[in-house]
Amino acid sequence: MSTVCAARASYKKIPGLLELTSTHLQWTQDGKKASVVRVAHAEVSSLFSSKEGAAQVRLKIGLENDSNGHNFTFTSPQALTERETFKAQLTTIISNNRAAREGGVLPSPQQTSSVPAAPASSANGATHHRGGAPAPTPSRPSTSRAESVSSTRGTPVNDPVHDFRIRKKVLVKTPELAALHRELVVSGQITETEFWEGREHLLLAQAASDSQKKGRPGQLVDPRPQAVEGGEVKIVITPQLVHDIFDEYPVVAKAYDENVPSKLTEGEFWKRYFQSKLFHSHRASIRSTATQHVVKDDAIFDKYLEKPDDELEPRKLRDDEVDMFIDLEATRGDHEETGNEKDVTMQAGKQRGALPLIRKFNEHSERLLKSAMSEDGGGKRRRVDTGDANDSHDHYSQIDLEDLHRPESSTGVLLEMQDRQRYFEARPGAAVSAEQVPRPTVDLAPAVQQMKRDLEGWEAHLSQSKIERKAAEAALGSMTENVATRLDAHKRKADIPEEIFRQMRTCQTAANEFLRQFWFAIYPPAGETLGGPTTLAQKTAKATRMAGYLSKTPEKVAAIIRAAEMAGADRGRVQIGMQPTLDTVSKALEFWETRKAASGPGAPGVRRP
Amino acid sequence: MKFFIDDLPIVFPYDRIYPEQYAYMCDLKRTLDASGHCVLEMPSGTGKTVSLLSLIVSYQQFFPVKRKLIYCSRTVPEIEKALSELKRLMEYRISVAETEEHRAKERAFTGVGLTSRKNLCIHPEVSKEKKGKVVDARCRDLTNTAVVTKARDEPGSVETCDFHENMNNIPFEGLLSPGGIWTLADILQHGRDTSTCPYFTIRRSMPFVDIIIYSFHYLLDPKVAEQVSKEMSKDSIVVFDEAHNIDNVCIESLSIDLTRPMLDAAARSVDKLADKIDEIKMTDASKLQDEYAKLVEGLQEAASNEDAFMSNPVLPEDLLKEAVPGNIRKAEHFVAFLKRLVEYLKTRMRVLHVVAETPLSFLQHLKDITYIERRPLRFCAERLQSLVRTLELSRLDEYSSLQKVANFATLVSTYERGFLLILEPFETDNASVPNPVFHFVCMDPAIAIKPVFERFSSVVITSGTISPLDMYPKMLQFTPVVQETYAMTLTRNAFLPLVITRGSDQVAISSRFEVRNDPAVVRNFGSILVEYSKIVPDGVVAFFPSYLYMESIVAAWNDMGILTEVWKHKLIFVETPDANETSIALENYRRACDNGRGAVLLSVARGKVSEGIDFDHNYGRAVIMFGVPYQYTESRILKARLEYLRDAYRIRESEFLGFDAIRNAAQCVGRALRGKTDWGLMVFADKRFARADKRAKLPRWINQYITETAANLSTDMALTLSKLFMRTISQNAGENSTGVSLWTVEDVEKAQAAQRQAEAEQSAAVALGQSQPGQGGGPGEPMDEDDFYEDGGISDRALGEVGLDI
Repeated sequence: MSTVCAARASYKKIPGLLELTSTHLQWTQDGKKASVVRVAHAEVSSLFSSKEGAAQVRLKIGLENDSNGHNFTFTSPQALTERETFKAQLTTIISNNRAAREGGVLPSPQQTSSVPAAPASSANGATHHRGGAPAPTPSRPSTSRAESVSSTRGTPVNDPVHDFRIRKKVLVKTPELAALHRELVVSGQITETEFWEGREHLLLAQAASDSQKKGRPGQLVDPRPQAVEGGEVKIVITPQLVHDIFDEYPVVAKAYDENVPSKLTEGEFWKRYFQSKLFHSHRASIRSTATQHVVKDDAIFDKYLEKPDDELEPRKLRDDEVDMFIDLEATRGDHEETGNEKDVTMQAGKQRGALPLIRKFNEHSERLLKSAMSEDGGGKRRRVDTGDANDSHDHYSQIDLEDLHRPESSTGVLLEMQDRQRYFEARPGAAVSAEQVPRPTVDLAPAVQQMKRDLEGWEAHLSQSKIERKAAEAALGSMTENVATRLDAHKRKADIPEEIFRQMRTCQTAANEFLRQFWFAIYPPAGETLGGPTTLAQKTAKATRMAGYLSKTPEKVAAIIRAAEMAGADRGRVQIGMQPTLDTVSKALEFWETRKAASGPGAPGVRRP
Repeated sequence: MKFFIDDLPIVFPYDRIYPEQYAYMCDLKRTLDASGHCVLEMPSGTGKTVSLLSLIVSYQQFFPVKRKLIYCSRTVPEIEKALSELKRLMEYRISVAETEEHRAKERAFTGVGLTSRKNLCIHPEVSKEKKGKVVDARCRDLTNTAVVTKARDEPGSVETCDFHENMNNIPFEGLLSPGGIWTLADILQHGRDTSTCPYFTIRRSMPFVDIIIYSFHYLLDPKVAEQVSKEMSKDSIVVFDEAHNIDNVCIESLSIDLTRPMLDAAARSVDKLADKIDEIKMTDASKLQDEYAKLVEGLQEAASNEDAFMSNPVLPEDLLKEAVPGNIRKAEHFVAFLKRLVEYLKTRMRVLHVVAETPLSFLQHLKDITYIERRPLRFCAERLQSLVRTLELSRLDEYSSLQKVANFATLVSTYERGFLLILEPFETDNASVPNPVFHFVCMDPAIAIKPVFERFSSVVITSGTISPLDMYPKMLQFTPVVQETYAMTLTRNAFLPLVITRGSDQVAISSRFEVRNDPAVVRNFGSILVEYSKIVPDGVVAFFPSYLYMESIVAAWNDMGILTEVWKHKLIFVETPDANETSIALENYRRACDNGRGAVLLSVARGKVSEGIDFDHNYGRAVIMFGVPYQYTESRILKARLEYLRDAYRIRESEFLGFDAIRNAAQCVGRALRGKTDWGLMVFADKRFARADKRAKLPRWINQYITETAANLSTDMALTLSKLFMRTISQNAGENSTGVSLWTVEDVEKAQAAQRQAEAEQSAAVALGQSQPGQGGGPGEPMDEDDFYEDGGISDRALGEVGLDI
């Protein structure tokens, strides 16, 4: 762990030494050995510094989970230069973190923890690529996106730290599961491994979504000033913003290089930049044309001002090779333009103010796309691959009608959906196409005739119609009863006290979990994974243990019922509520008893029926 | 697969065929057999081009009399696509040919595409030029007969083009031997490989090829058609594919705009001509005398076809076959004549109020002021051509304004009906600085297409969206023998058309002029885009009714922060005024769709992107049409045209405007599909789409899938339906579509047997004397037009009083 840079700095007014190592930022009080503050690189999320010329030279580190962060005051005589060194280093770290976080591989916050953030910090290290899995080879044929996700990083079972982190994430995401986990694992009733057995899919899904590397966010760089009291505006400059501005507008980077610090200090530079015409021409808005005359001239920045790119032809003419199938220029050059000019609404570029904006969109999108393409090596390019592939074949694929070829057995990629059956069954009318369910063809004219005949003399029929007294009364009676029951149920719905209800719920979910574990041990699933019990003996042992837990369920229920009675709730209702749980438990126990009796101890060889 | 339609063996380059393709081919064959014209609407993306080519090539190869196919499409990408289809078809035909003799016959089959010098030039310098006109002019300077002869007589004295010279010793019919199909890319490569000129290779081989593919203008614009299409034989089969906008091409080819800078340039050109004449009088006076002598005899057709730099803008049968009038025969007289004409036009431009007049009244005024008669005016274009040739001018692009004036003069003095002159001194109503434009407006599309119908026996007009079918025969003044639209047979709904009439806040949305800039409407349009960019994978294409609206709404959305939301989910690409820039944006859009990043493309209905670019598969999972793409009704040109249509063809204004808007909307959304496994959402976002009369104008294959519920949705309801649709379509289809929406050879034969039986029964019935109404052939069910396109019981008058809904 080498020290990148170090400086004297005070923390909470206590003097000490601030060090930046290759993995951590740490501060040690003078005369002590252990560092008081120790922050992994991955946790640093933001950076603030006091103004140049301020009385104290401060640096504030914002953390991932704690925006208050830590405040350091540089105390040595060269405080300023030292701070700049730290700032420069930390800015890179933060921007790497940001990239990694967007990639979703941020470690769970673990301030000053002793666990080395091994898998995560590698992602935050020098390159972005190391966080992701092996870069997809360019020769890989087009595959579905879902597949490529799971292949990027295998099942992360071998790595306990990583595993822990993923489990934690899953728990944070699903509070119910977390409650159960607390109930059973934290209290020690079943082990962590047992708990996750059968829930591997959740972990896999989480791991897959974690390892999916996100690209750069798409937004345009458009610092919008916040209005402060007194009619002034304020723009908060963060290192990230500076980075983004330089990236998006190389001309600003050029201006910065040429003027800071020789002519302007950094603060002045930004202050003047945000007031300059240059900034307003960069703002992604047509408002900039309106503010143009409000803005003062600026001798330095106006030099860098470019004419707005609002001619019909772009300023930067490009002669990229364009695929013949989308070459619009060729159509324009195909014949001399004839006819009358287009009406005023159809003349492109009439709104000249919007043209620089539109061009900016196209350029920005192209830049984002290029950065994404260079990251994954263009492996996913499918159809516009004009490189070395035979051109005419590529064109053939663009005009091909796939389904007219003799069908080859390809099942395609199924869309995995939760409750798929239910989703589609719930809306049968909408989901089935008109052709799938041929509507019964009704010949309209005869049908109307028929109906007319049927309805003839309906008044007479109605007056003659008599309902048998008894049946009618019975029907009415049952209806009344139904209404009464419903009303009753409705009235008494909330009469179980919240506390008792909560206990009932916990008891029920716990029993369910035990049942799950129990049946799991009895009938193990086909493809077994995770470090669950593997041998028969282990399974039996586990089943025994679970049966033990289960046998306590009636006691627990009884306790709840007693508690309910004490609280003045209806005992019967609680009883009824818990009955299904008791039934399933007793069923399991019965099974367990008969099985024990049948096979005898030590030979639980019963196969699945 | 191979099968027979009647006795004609058809080779179809796939293992299966869609029923509608089969029906289409049957109807096409009927048309060709009857030597008549037809209008066929075939759903977009069901392989119209391949069916058409497959049938026609089978037809050409089967019958001993070779009928050339002239296939016209709108854009160069579409031309190239058609050529690729043809190339693949021929490869397939060669591979399935039974005997060596047949195979040789298939190999000898030749097809080429033609486009401009600009697109085909491979000369290292000339091809660098950006403007088509300049490429043309510079090419002519290097390749015209005079230059070439001179270069041969005294080598090195003048510059020539090597690519052109290298072709001297090749006989024209041998240029493309041994035949085959040449896409534009192929022919360019061939040119580079053999150091020959691709453009002249195509031009010279045109008489010998079996299929020529080029754009509408090459057949409809008399200035071009005279040069390239004159020698096509009368029994050629003419196909206008993607013909839904053919009336506009017709009108464009006979309309001219004159502006003040143009007249100034024309005046300068006249001066230059005068100087040149003086100069040549000194050096080579005999040339002018020769020309005079020729003109007396009326021999204008001196030059070879390739040299022609401009031809008469007038249609062939309107050309006067007589000698040029005496008062413009002498070169200096003609120059003086031109000078007077240009001066007169400049004077007219000074008027500060709008003038609309007929050609007759214009001619009368011209005569009163300048004593220029109608007859010499008619020869203006012709005479200028002869003069330019005599003077051996170079860099003709500098004379283009003068050519335009001459064309104008000829046109205005030739046609009385169907044209109008409109002088607009100001660009917009609020403008204060005059920028006068003199519009010479053709209002009748039938004029330009008439010679095509008269000359060629079979003209096929086809497109994916050409409803209502009867509109086209009415506008273009012809009688089709077959007029058919085909439904799309689907085993499951591959696309979902939705009409969104209001936002989630229940505010009605519309691109009507009064409300289109209302913040609530703009926001609701925006939220549709945002929501769809969230839920739709890969590509989303949005179309706006006009450039003006798109540009202002993009700016407004950006300021409202709506686009920030879109950026979170997709990249944004926007159509720009520059074609090349837009092509690059398109290329990047496609990359983003392939790459999985996903993108939104914002473009304009009837704009550059809406024509000829496909958004199939992942390139367009949702197409959103914001508003109804009506034309700008304040346009005087449009008003004049509407009036003319009403008076001449009894087509009501509202009917035409609605038809025109809907055909463009349908064209936009229709490009999202190719093949029946492809799927896409089609969103019509405007409350006016909910009206029955609007929807009735949509092609039937789209309209039939708009359910009652989907015809009037709010944004949130539409999203729910869209999500459901996407989940449904992502399930495995499971059921076998073969036999229903896909036919094998057996299915085709079964259908044919059934039809034969039906016919036999019918003829038996007829024989029995129970005459029954005739029935259209083919499995495409005949449709009851009247039933379908009614206005919902509103009388013409009531509609007229409602006012145009723009």
